Amino acid sequence: MLFFSRSKIFMILGFVFLGLLLAVPNGLNESTRDKMPGAFQRTINLGLDLQGGAHMLLEVDLSSILSQALINERTAINDSFRRADERPRTEFVRADGDDSILVRLRSKEDADKALPLIQELSQPVDPTQINSAKTTRVERESDRNIRVTITKAQIDFIREQTIDKSIGVLGRRIDPNGNLELTLAPEGSERILLQVPGAVNTQEIKKKINESANLSFHLVNEKDSTNDQAMMVAMETGRVAAGDKYFPFSEANGRGGGLIVNERTRITGDCLKNSSGGPHPENNGAVVNFEFNVACAREFGQMTARNINKRFAVILDGNIITAPNIRSAITGGRGYIEGGFTMESARDLSLLLNAGALPAKLTIVEERTVDPSLGADSIRAGRIASMIGLLGVAIFMWMGYGIRFGTIANMALATNIILIAAALSLFGSTLTLPGIAGIILTIGMAVDANVLIFERIREETYNGKTPINAIETGYKLSMAPILDANITTLIAAVTLYFVGSGPVRGFAVTLAIGIVMSVFTAVVFARLLTSTWLRGKRPKTLPI
Amino acid sequence: MKDISLVRILPQEPRVPFINMRMIAAALSVLGIIASIFLFTTKGLNYGIDFTGGTVIEINTKGDPDDAAIRAALLDMGFEGATVQGIQPPVGAVDQDGVPITHRLMRIGLQLQDETGEAGQGAQQEALNQVVAGLQERIGAFYVRNTEVVGSQVSGELRRKGILSVALALIMVLGYIWLRFEWQFGLGAVMALAHDVILTIGVFSLTQIEFNLTIIAAILTIVGYSLNDTVIVYDRIRENLRKFKKKPLPEVLNIAINDTLSRTILTSLTTLLALVALYVLGGSALKGFSFAMIWGVFVGTYSSIFVASPLLLALRLKRGVNTGGERKD
Repeated sequence: MLFFSRSKIFMILGFVFLGLLLAVPNGLNESTRDKMPGAFQRTINLGLDLQGGAHMLLEVDLSSILSQALINERTAINDSFRRADERPRTEFVRADGDDSILVRLRSKEDADKALPLIQELSQPVDPTQINSAKTTRVERESDRNIRVTITKAQIDFIREQTIDKSIGVLGRRIDPNGNLELTLAPEGSERILLQVPGAVNTQEIKKKINESANLSFHLVNEKDSTNDQAMMVAMETGRVAAGDKYFPFSEANGRGGGLIVNERTRITGDCLKNSSGGPHPENNGAVVNFEFNVACAREFGQMTARNINKRFAVILDGNIITAPNIRSAITGGRGYIEGGFTMESARDLSLLLNAGALPAKLTIVEERTVDPSLGADSIRAGRIASMIGLLGVAIFMWMGYGIRFGTIANMALATNIILIAAALSLFGSTLTLPGIAGIILTIGMAVDANVLIFERIREETYNGKTPINAIETGYKLSMAPILDANITTLIAAVTLYFVGSGPVRGFAVTLAIGIVMSVFTAVVFARLLTSTWLRGKRPKTLPI
Repeated sequence: MKDISLVRILPQEPRVPFINMRMIAAALSVLGIIASIFLFTTKGLNYGIDFTGGTVIEINTKGDPDDAAIRAALLDMGFEGATVQGIQPPVGAVDQDGVPITHRLMRIGLQLQDETGEAGQGAQQEALNQVVAGLQERIGAFYVRNTEVVGSQVSGELRRKGILSVALALIMVLGYIWLRFEWQFGLGAVMALAHDVILTIGVFSLTQIEFNLTIIAAILTIVGYSLNDTVIVYDRIRENLRKFKKKPLPEVLNIAINDTLSRTILTSLTTLLALVALYVLGGSALKGFSFAMIWGVFVGTYSSIFVASPLLLALRLKRGVNTGGERKD
C-alpha cells in the first residue's frame, strides 16, 4: 500500500495540480480571468438563489393540444372524403371522447368505401424510423361506425413539438437580443423550466408568457355580419352558420360589437416573414407593417382578388383588431395593420409577432424570485460558515492526531475543497444555497476516511507493529469500510439527484462530488504524503 | 516529536458494555418511535409551501416592521389565514443599495388560492400581485427580497417525490448492504435508518419547524451519514467474527463497537462543528436544514451503536460462510 511508482506519483500530483489550476479562476477578478486559456476561464455557476433572478415552471395546456389534434384529424377526414372518386356519404364526423373521432356513415357500403380512405390517413409518427408507431388507430366498430383514435405516440410527438416550439418562441420573446443568459429547458413531459438570472420584476416576463400572439386573417361573412338578427343571435348564443365564427372587436380598436367571419383560413401568424412597428401613413397614429412569405403572399393575393369590396378581419388572440375593406388585390404580400396602436404598442406587437405564436397556453405553476442582495447575503453567510467549519475541523485534527498526521489530514482536506471547486467549475454545475450546505457538510465528513485510517494505524501500533507495518496494515484494513461507507452515501446522493428537483439537485451534486473527492484525497493523496514522509524520516516510533 | 493528542484521553481499548445496555436502548428507541408517530398523527408537520402550495413573500421594510399593522392590512385585503413572521437577517446582510440591514425582515405566507375553473389558473400570481400592491398602499413602500409561488399540482408532485426519494434510497441501500454482507446486516441497517428517519420526523413535529424540500434533502443526508456510521461498525463486526471465533456473539459485537468508538466520536464531532457553524451563521434559509442535520448526527451515531448492532442479535445472525470465512474482496 505504501509503494508508489514514479509514474503514479506524477499522475496523482498532476491531478491535484490540474485541480488547483481549475479552481484558481474562481478567486480571480474578471479581467485577469479573461487572459487565461479557455478551459481555465470557467468558474462555478451560481444558482438563481445565490445570484438573484426569477425561476418559473410553466405547464403546457395538454388538453388544448389534444383538441387541436382532433380538429386537424377531423378536417383531414372530411377533406379526404371530399376528394375521393366515390365519395362516401356520412351522417356525421365528430369528436367523441378526449382522444377519438367517431365517423358514422349512411350505410355499410359507405363505410366500406370510407375505411381505406381513413386508414390511408394514418401515417407513421416519425417517417425516418422504420418501425415508427402510427398517428391514429382506426377501428371498425360496427357496420356504419368507424372510430379513429389518436395514438399515444402521436400525442407524445405533438407534445414534444409543442414544448420545443414554445421554448423557441419564449426565448425570442423574453430575450430577443440573446444576452440575458436565459435557461429554457423541458422539465418532465409537460413543463418548461424558465430561469432569468438577475430579473427581479417578473411582471414583464409574465406578460410575455401569457400572450399567445395568435394572428390570422379571415374573410368577413358580410351577409350575416350586416344582418341584425344574425348578429344578435351570434352575440348572445355564439350560434352562427356552419363554418363561421363570431369574434368581438378588440378594446384598442374602439369599436363595440363584432363580426361573423369565415373560420377557415390559411393566412396565419406562421405566414409572417417579418413585421415592424411604424408611423401611420395617413394620420399620426401607428401601424404594424408586415410581410408575408412567398406562399402566403400568393394565397393572400388570390383571396383578396376574389373578394374586392368585401372586408377581411385581422384577428389576434380571439379579438378583431381591424377589418379593412379590400379595395384591390394585395399581391405583394406586404401591408399594414391599423387598429388604434400607439408607437409603443405597435412595436410590442411586432416583436411578439416576429417571435411567433405560442402553440399552446402556458400556465405558471411555480415561481420563485430572489433579489440579488439576498443571494449575496447567502454567499457571504456560506463563506463565513465554511471558513469557521474548516478552521474548527483543522484545529481538531491537529489536536487529535498531532502535528504530523494532523497536517497530513488537513492537507487532504484542503485539497478536497480545491478539487470540489475544480470539479464544479469544470462541469459547469450550478452551486445553490443547499449546495453550499453540502460543501460545509463535506468538510465535516471528509476527514472521516482519514480518521478511520489513523485510528487503525494507532491500533496496529498499540498491538506492537513497527511504524511501516502499522501504516501498511492500517491503510489496507481501512479500505473496505471506507469504500462501503462512501458508496452507500453516494447511493443516497444519487437517489436525491434523480428524484429531487431544483436546489435539492444542487445539493446532491456537491455532496456526490464531495464524497468522491474525499475518498481520493484520503486514500490516495494522503497515503502518498504519508509514504513520502515515511521514506524520508524512517521513524522508529509513530507520533500518532 | 511532541504529541498533544486529545483523543488519547479516550482509552486505547475502551470496553464499554454497550451490548449489555441494549434493553434500555431498545426501550428508549421504541418509546421515541411511539412518541414520534403519536406526534405525527396528532400534531402533524408544519409543511412549507413546497408541499402545501401557496405563496411566500419576504419583504424589507423601512425600519423595523409593524407585525400587527401588516396582519391587519392582510385581513383587510381578505387574506385570512395568512401568516406573518419577523425574521432576523443573516449576519452581514445588506439591502439592495448596499446598506446593512439592522431590523427584522418580514416573511408573509399566503395560503393556496382556489385554482379551480378558468379563472383559477393564475390565482396564485393574482394573489401575489394583490398583496404586494395592497400592502405598499397600506403600510408604505418596501422592497421585495424574495417571492415563492407554488401551485397545487406542483406541491402534490413534490410531496410524492419527497416520499419516493426517501423510500427509494432506503431500498437501494438495503440492496447494497445485502450484496456486501449477510441479510441480517442489510435488514438491521435499514431498520436503524427507518428509526432515524422516524425520530427526525418526530422532532420536526414536536418543534413545528417548517418541513420543506431542503428538509427532505437533510433526511436523505442523515440516511447517508447514519449508514456511514453503521457500515463502519458492521465492517468491524464482520472482521471480528473471523478474528474471535470462540467468543460469544454479544462480546464480539461489543468489541467491534468499542474498536470503532473513537472514530465514531471524532467524526461526529468534526461534522457537528461544521454544522453548528452553518446553523449559527447560515441565515434563516439554512436554519431548518442544519437543525435537522445536527439532530441527525446525534440520532445516527446513537442508532449505529445502540440499534443497528443489537439488532443483529435479535435477527439471529449466524456465523455463516460470508461472515466467518475469507473476505471476498
